[in-house]
Amino acid sequence: MLGFIRLFIIVIVAQAILYVVVSVYSRSVRREKMEDSADEKIAQGDLDPGLRDAYIEGGMLDYEQSLRKKLIWGVIVLPMAAVLVLIYVTNFG
Amino acid sequence: MRYVKWTIITVLVLLVFGFFHYTLPQRDIVRIVNTYEERQDLNGWTRMFWSSPDDNSDTLANRDVQFIQAIQANGKTMVYRNEDTGWGWPPYFKFDTANLYAEANDAISSKDAPEWYAIRHYGWRNEFLSIFPNAVGLKRVDGPDVRLIPYGNIVMLTLLALFVGFLYRVWAQFRERTIDPLLEDAGETWDAVDERADAARDKARGMWGRLRDRMRR
Repeated sequence: MLGFIRLFIIVIVAQAILYVVVSVYSRSVRREKMEDSADEKIAQGDLDPGLRDAYIEGGMLDYEQSLRKKLIWGVIVLPMAAVLVLIYVTNFG
Repeated sequence: MRYVKWTIITVLVLLVFGFFHYTLPQRDIVRIVNTYEERQDLNGWTRMFWSSPDDNSDTLANRDVQFIQAIQANGKTMVYRNEDTGWGWPPYFKFDTANLYAEANDAISSKDAPEWYAIRHYGWRNEFLSIFPNAVGLKRVDGPDVRLIPYGNIVMLTLLALFVGFLYRVWAQFRERTIDPLLEDAGETWDAVDERADAARDKARGMWGRLRDRMRR
């Protein structure tokens, strides 16, 4: 039982770190995309340069609601599912 | 310096390779000839090549360990230990040691009427250190020449490579978006300081000096 608790704590801490890293990375990539798309639109004359920041922030708001952001929870869920599968295969498969 | 660098790189590569060679599963095709239980002294540094399956035996200096004796398809002998990994390292989550022992006993066959089994295991056999690979699973196969494809290892190593690639991408993104702008700011500040220093020096040197400077340029 102590072994299980120890493993659980280690895994949870590692997953929490990974979750934070992945979400910061994903947000950063999205912001870069929004910046590029804003610059492109400004160059084509579709966007007023004064609205650049608002355009980017709007895109980031969309991102916060998106499925992509929710999928990052997979970082927590998938390894735990893999452990359950592994336990079954090793002992009962 | 070059030798130091390459020595360090070689040692690191060997350590990583050794770690995965020890930890990832491998399958041998064997004929099982016997099983036995023996009391093992588990003090000393080779302790790390044995399991610490439950919290109780972790503190004991010796305990009984189950073994499976086998003859490989190429005629060489191999002895496996049979221990729980429990919730510990490596993460095989093996709790069915007693069941595997029963299966191994059921799988015993003679030289005259051989039955071949693929035995999944991790770890190393070393006669000098008295260490044994840990058997994880047992499956009947048709004969000694069956070709086994290590799907598990393929998946594991692919996932690992993807993860390393992902970490590299994260680092590149972090550098591009966070570190480089910081360095640029610092660079601009430094240039400004430099220019001011130049101006002050020119002023101090006077008009002739400035003129001479300009002609030299």
